[in-house]
Amino acid sequence: MQQIGWSSRSRALALAAAPVTVAITLGIIPVLVLFAESIVWAASPDLPAMLGAYVRLEESVYLAILGRSVLIGIVLTGACLGLAYPVTYWLAHRCPPHRRVVLLVLLTLPLWLNYVVLNYVWVWILARGGIVNQLLGVVAPSIAPVPLLYTELSLAVGFLYIYLPYVILTLYVAMERLDAGLLAAASDLGASRMRLVTDVILPQTAAGAAAGALIVYARIAGAFATPEILGGPQQQLVAQLITDAFLEVLDLRFAAALAFSFLAVVMFILLIGLTSQQLRQEVRRW
Amino acid sequence: MVRRPLPSGLGWVVITTFVFIYAPITILVYLSLSSAAQPAIPLDGVSLRWYTAVLADDRFVRGMITSVGIGTVTAIVGTILGLLAARTIMRAPLSARSRSAVATVIAVPLFLPTVVLAVAIGITAGRAGVGYGLLPVLAGHLVWVLPFSTFVLTARYAQLDARVEAAAADLGASPQAIFKTVTLPQLAPAIIASVLFGFALSFNEFLITFFLAGSGITTMPLEIFGKVRIGATSFLNAASVVVLAMSGVIALLAARYDPPG
Repeated sequence: MQQIGWSSRSRALALAAAPVTVAITLGIIPVLVLFAESIVWAASPDLPAMLGAYVRLEESVYLAILGRSVLIGIVLTGACLGLAYPVTYWLAHRCPPHRRVVLLVLLTLPLWLNYVVLNYVWVWILARGGIVNQLLGVVAPSIAPVPLLYTELSLAVGFLYIYLPYVILTLYVAMERLDAGLLAAASDLGASRMRLVTDVILPQTAAGAAAGALIVYARIAGAFATPEILGGPQQQLVAQLITDAFLEVLDLRFAAALAFSFLAVVMFILLIGLTSQQLRQEVRRW
Repeated sequence: MVRRPLPSGLGWVVITTFVFIYAPITILVYLSLSSAAQPAIPLDGVSLRWYTAVLADDRFVRGMITSVGIGTVTAIVGTILGLLAARTIMRAPLSARSRSAVATVIAVPLFLPTVVLAVAIGITAGRAGVGYGLLPVLAGHLVWVLPFSTFVLTARYAQLDARVEAAAADLGASPQAIFKTVTLPQLAPAIIASVLFGFALSFNEFLITFFLAGSGITTMPLEIFGKVRIGATSFLNAASVVVLAMSGVIALLAARYDPPG
């Protein structure tokens, strides 16, 4: 009996070894190497000299871009949530059940489409001679053409377009678990629509929304293709700085320091989020 | 004639969202049918000449073949590893702590910003002497796909009745026989979905490839990004539609086997 128990245990360990080895070798060790690369290793340990690459980060332009990337991530995740809330509520609680899966598949299909292409589509819509400006030329010729492409606006539209499906998918999972009986009870007891939203829907789905938001904001903050295709030189984000340092300037140490600093900020916010017990459960659910 | 009720405020938000998601794609398809190198609205003439041009373009065909190859390898290897991981997380005779540790280790790439993962793998490949090219690209795609396939398969495992496997074991079936005749058939739809989703993820992946490909190989997303930087053209529109259509069909197929939500 003992013998059988041991052999099934060792077989389980052998089966687990392959995926765990791949995840550690390709997912975790590279992050450690990244950190090691960002440090200047010298015979005599001297902290300021070792952290030389990070000292350069203090040059205000890098810090400003890092801060703006995180800020844009937070603001646009908020915008996605603002749109995803009514949509997922309708889908989970108002939509005819036989259409629900098809509509959810359609709303989340862009997740599996090419995001370079999905960004590029907006060039045709927002360019100087693009569709929006053509329409404006007919409706209000005096103000057209309006500069739309390569502005904060085109950047925001691109992010909303790419990340809305992620937020819809994660929020839908929370919205589906929201008990329809609870909604019915609240409105039977005379709760206004507003109270229904603030006292029932939001508190019941907040943890699920926050769990999705914690992943999406970091993806937006670290995006490269969207600012590269739809943003202008004024809208540079941290991923473009990292890419420049790595692929153009070939300053690996600086690229590593930038990437690791960005990762530290992301992880810090993630850990703050995970101090909430409810949030931990939501993330584990994934 | 039955008049359908007008949509409420909520209904309008939903309709607007669908328009927001699908109008740009429709516009792209429309523009790709232009007969001119630079499309105008309305189109000067409808033609498929840019699609023929894409399929005759050496770089695009080469990029397509590479993308399909990398996608296929990543999807299959990722699904096999994901299956092992899901089995470990759901069924292994290990402590709950170690099983949840396995889940955490595999989920790490989901929480890393892609650009960080890409630089990290790039620097590590350089330090390990692997350099740029096919091998680091495959590694990057694999670690990107693994959490998704593990997730799809774990979710399916969670729906299976563990007692069926236990019954087979009580009746004397070997672990291999149980896996082949009891577990595998029940997991089949999720395995197919995992392969298809994994393919779509890898086929569309751009940033990791951009960092790791070097000058030796090119994939479809790299080709498209390179052309986007130069400028918008009818040729690029047709190439974009080809990529969207391929990934869209694969994703819809995957959703049939494993609906979301």
